[in-house]
Amino acid sequence: MSVPRRRHAAIVALLILLVGAPLLALAPAAPGAVRVAGVSLLWWYAGVVAPVLATGIAIAVLVRGGE
Amino acid sequence: MTPVSAAAVWLHPVLLTVVALRVAAGDADAPWLALGALIAPLVALLVPARRSVAANPVAVVAAALAVTLVLAADFVIVADAATLLGGAPWHGVVPAAALALLVSRLSPSRRLVGPALAVGAAALALPLAIVAGTMGAAPWTAWSHGGLRATLTFPEGSGWVTHGERFARPARLTFTEGQRVTTLTPGTYRVVERDATPPTVREWRLTGGESLTLRPGDELAVEAGARLRFEAGRRMPGAPVSGVAWADAPARGPALLPAAFGALVTLVGGALALVPGTRRRGTLAAAGPLVLMAAVAAAVGWGVYAAAAAPDLALAGSPLAPLLQLPPRALGAATGGAVATLALGAVLVLLVAATLALRGRLAAATPRPEFWAAAILLAVALALWSADPWRLLVLGLGLAAAVWTPSRLASGRASAVVGASVGAAVFVALAGLPLVAPGPAAWLGALVRYPALLALPLGLAAARAPVDGASARRARVRSNAR
Repeated sequence: MSVPRRRHAAIVALLILLVGAPLLALAPAAPGAVRVAGVSLLWWYAGVVAPVLATGIAIAVLVRGGE
Repeated sequence: MTPVSAAAVWLHPVLLTVVALRVAAGDADAPWLALGALIAPLVALLVPARRSVAANPVAVVAAALAVTLVLAADFVIVADAATLLGGAPWHGVVPAAALALLVSRLSPSRRLVGPALAVGAAALALPLAIVAGTMGAAPWTAWSHGGLRATLTFPEGSGWVTHGERFARPARLTFTEGQRVTTLTPGTYRVVERDATPPTVREWRLTGGESLTLRPGDELAVEAGARLRFEAGRRMPGAPVSGVAWADAPARGPALLPAAFGALVTLVGGALALVPGTRRRGTLAAAGPLVLMAAVAAAVGWGVYAAAAAPDLALAGSPLAPLLQLPPRALGAATGGAVATLALGAVLVLLVAATLALRGRLAAATPRPEFWAAAILLAVALALWSADPWRLLVLGLGLAAAVWTPSRLASGRASAVVGASVGAAVFVALAGLPLVAPGPAAWLGALVRYPALLALPLGLAAARAPVDGASARRARVRSNAR
């Protein structure tokens, strides 16, 4: 995959991760309020899963190539 | 610009401390604001090199104004520190502005940005680690503890109960439970009694040591700097009613979706303007995202531990309250005071790093030094006049998103001017709407709070449309190449 396409795919992935938080929080039936190990699913997502994934994606693209 | 320097443009004290306060207060939008504070600059780091705005007068003016608003928001945080420590707001704002002017005139200032950010981020995380170690709870355990409280009441050892605390900015406190409030600073206190229609408004001129008895439903208006003492065991005014309400804010629902997208568009659009893309590759390129993640995680951590150990800290209304007041509560006055001083030092170092980085971004738009000096002077005036740092930050990032970003992503020079002009016109119209038509329709609420939600897409659409000969020629060349 070329560098511009890789960056484009990474940006789309980051934006999907970002939009996931309000959708999880504001969806009907409040799936984000479900507790997993004492913490709500919303905070597992917004505080742990999405930040780690997003940082990993950004690092992978930045380390592998410039523009 | 290195990845760490690029991150410094984004990691403003106002952004990090507001995230901490929102988490501590259990605000409905805290989760996506925290995530947006991290992902928005990551997106900007990945977007390829963008067009300079130097030749676009509309974008240059907007860049200067956006930088001014963001600086002003930072200065309000320093003003809060002065107020919480018993001084006047200008005691914090004027030295911070002098420091910003002085440091930015140093010849090696650009080389200071990276080290200053690294030191600031470490100094922000270290006091949190000490607090967490003393409490003996992992962040998820602290979150769970905060979410299980039956009621949010003033604890016996709270500063609000023992010696009284200060309000950093004007506040309206709505009481859900009757209690006696002791005023420790003289001033005018206004009480709105809502047990009759129409409500009764009473103004009391009280000296230090006098008390007010408030009933459920009463609203107390407090001036900035006022110091009050509350009763232990009583519900905190304005706070969530329980840990469950803190964890899952009742206001969180589908109606919040436009405002949520408004906040995220503002953050991403503002980052695209402020944070430059990086050309560096190799393992050093990982430093920028890692510093961003560490700093935002520390901000969320401050909020979570504040909610678990001292949920009353959010009452002061200052984003700095968790950093300044949690350590003494968790570690005791002596050790906690030293740790809180370290946290305040972290905020000041982050301010220096962000200021230097911002100056670099403004210099890229316009190298004229008088723009920077004017930006600082105007920011001082705004910080002393405005009480809401989040509103200033949203306006600054929103203006950058609406005007600066379309200009940087434009398809040609003329398109850049058109896109910036369209973005500016829409932004000004929406942001200024409450001034000409107070109480706009509910469906306009998200657009008025976050004007970039409409201004950015319209500005971008105009900026990407080929309007000049060069753009048309490029479009023809691309078409022929296919």
